Amino acid sequence: MKLLLVTWVDPLVRSASTVHRYAAASRALGHEVAVYGDPHPELPSLPFTRDLSGVDLALFVVQVPSDFPDMPYLARLLDGVPRERRVVLDLWGRFNDTIRLDHDFNHLEKLDGHLGWEWAETFHAVSDTILQPTLSPLRPEVASFLFHGYDHGSVARRYETAREAAAVWRAAGPAEKPYGVMYVGSNWQRWDQVRRFLERYGPARSEVGRACLVGWNWGKRPDWAVQKGIVGIDTDPAFLAELGVEVRDGVRFDEVIGLLGKARFAPVFHRPLFQHLGLVTIRTFETFYADSLPVLMLPREFVTAVYGQAALALVPGDDVAAYLTDALRRPEKYWDAVLQTRSHLARHHSYAQRFQTLGEHVKGGARSGVAR
Amino acid sequence: MNILFVMKHRPNAGNIHAVVDYMRVGQRHGHSFALYGTEDPWVPDARFSTNVWAFDRLVYLFESELYRVQRLREVALLAKFPKRHRLILDMDGMYNPPLVLDDYDHNHTDEAESLRWIEFCDTLSDRIIKPTLAPSDNPRVSSLIIYGYDPALQLDPASAPPKQFDILHVGHNWWRWKEVAGELLPAFEQIRDQVGEIGFVGLWWDAPPPEGPKAGPDEALQSDPEAFRQFGLWWDAPRPEGRKAAPVEAFQSDPEAFRRLRIHTSTAVMYSDVIRTMSTARINIFTQRPILRHLKHLTLKYFEIFYADTIPLLMFDGDHAAAVYGPAGRELTLAGRVAEKLLDALRRPDHYRGLVEDVRHHLAAHHSYDRRVEELVAAMRE
Repeated sequence: MKLLLVTWVDPLVRSASTVHRYAAASRALGHEVAVYGDPHPELPSLPFTRDLSGVDLALFVVQVPSDFPDMPYLARLLDGVPRERRVVLDLWGRFNDTIRLDHDFNHLEKLDGHLGWEWAETFHAVSDTILQPTLSPLRPEVASFLFHGYDHGSVARRYETAREAAAVWRAAGPAEKPYGVMYVGSNWQRWDQVRRFLERYGPARSEVGRACLVGWNWGKRPDWAVQKGIVGIDTDPAFLAELGVEVRDGVRFDEVIGLLGKARFAPVFHRPLFQHLGLVTIRTFETFYADSLPVLMLPREFVTAVYGQAALALVPGDDVAAYLTDALRRPEKYWDAVLQTRSHLARHHSYAQRFQTLGEHVKGGARSGVAR
Repeated sequence: MNILFVMKHRPNAGNIHAVVDYMRVGQRHGHSFALYGTEDPWVPDARFSTNVWAFDRLVYLFESELYRVQRLREVALLAKFPKRHRLILDMDGMYNPPLVLDDYDHNHTDEAESLRWIEFCDTLSDRIIKPTLAPSDNPRVSSLIIYGYDPALQLDPASAPPKQFDILHVGHNWWRWKEVAGELLPAFEQIRDQVGEIGFVGLWWDAPPPEGPKAGPDEALQSDPEAFRQFGLWWDAPRPEGRKAAPVEAFQSDPEAFRRLRIHTSTAVMYSDVIRTMSTARINIFTQRPILRHLKHLTLKYFEIFYADTIPLLMFDGDHAAAVYGPAGRELTLAGRVAEKLLDALRRPDHYRGLVEDVRHHLAAHHSYDRRVEELVAAMRE
């Protein structure tokens, strides 16, 4: 299959890691993957192309409006790849009625200039096939395709047994694991959850170790958010200072796994909109590559459905401090859950399976299920 | 046929009046025209639509910039209308190599800008239409006058406003100064004591447009590199493209000379007031920016000025005037004899009104909007 990914790839944000994994996996699986456009100087290993000949599937991976290419590339693409070979992958739940949850939303004109109907109309215009990375899309005409996947070969450090993993983890000194907790991700609609987590981690801080937040806007609410009145990027520098939380700017996609391994625990947060829609993200899977214990701050039903039953042991419940200290005392239990979950992810969420699903879309051609 | 126009619409400049005429006349022929966008109270006669599914063809009307709609809307338009159903109207001669006239007016600042325009247009459509009398060697380019004349829009002298001016010029100070300063002002100097009020209506006759970006949240947001990365916002605002900033000589003026010659200036009027404004003068002078004259482009004003209750006098050569307006048009030209002709028109208005009537008959016979609508629809069917 010749798969063309249509999206804006930035090494610091969004789906750069998954896009790289598609390119890497395609070579082993006998497929050909390239990103539409010109080579990106900061992403030398990622194949880019403007050649539209023989494309079996153009997958529009859409998060923000600029994931659609600019002119003249846009017209060339839409004129060069027939509609039945185009599929829209709606990673941020745009193809829904407008949703407001806490401060979160799927459409906001004052942020990007676009109303809800524009997203729907644009997706309709591009393709009859619209996919969302959730197991249960709200709209009947949307199909499920999780997109992000799990590549067992990317696990930073593999263990045969939970006992072995726990021993290494327990023995790691401050040089190997200078942090107790690390979260890598931008401060976008996650502050309430992160604050709640940190408040509950607080009592165990001295035992667990220092926390670190890596990503944009954890240290200060940005000026543009203040001026635009967008409240999903809150932060509280005094609170973070009181807890001794270190704050760092975002890092490249290929530094994330190594960085998470510098901490004993790596929490996974999904923004409220994503929790509501059951959307997965890069970090849903990628956190399990790191040499760290994932802490799944996610609904239990979602955890079971995506990660399998064993992963429920990685959901801390309300008493985060007790959970973390218990994990410090008997990490074997938690590492056993991690190893079982990794196996589950490898069985059910490999990139080979993702390619297989896409191949079915290629065979099926245009799906005419989308009503206009 | 249902045709959707994509263009930058301004109520006091550009081609909005012509598009409104297509909407009005198109109905008589069973065709529907609309502008892409939402209702604009400043253009009450225009029909707007964002429902791309209701249209069969897409027409991009470009003036001096490559007008773009916001990204998602652009995607929807290009996905809905395949290349063969899109057409470009190149109103300001931008789909050309760089042209410079007398070291003054030019369409592009350099070769790169011209190439960018041409690449953009060629990607968008295989067909470029220019409102010109000059045929092109480029097989992609065809000529269609676009603008038309509708006798129903002629202003009845009985309902015309009182005459406030002897001489009026309605149009923006956009690459016109060389002609105004070189030919009109010296003529006014010669005859100033023999004529009444003189006026210039339009933008930038007193000063160039104010410069500098507007300050506000949008700019703050768009200058934040982190916001750019997270939300891709730097792509999302509609951005004028295809031209660098206009050079200052495009807006050159001499307010002191205007004061000395007792020339009144006033700002641009809405497209719906142009005819009445022209009708406040006995004579209206029609100038055309040099590059468009060189390219033999016709503009809206070629036709609009003959709706007004006035005597149009034309600053171009007799052959060109005759080609557009018929033989009587030649008699209405000013070139080379501006002062003499102005005085003659003021002294013998009935003679000139007769010439104007002849031109109106010619325009109605050869340049009706009914004909223009059918020509455009036929071009879209090809």
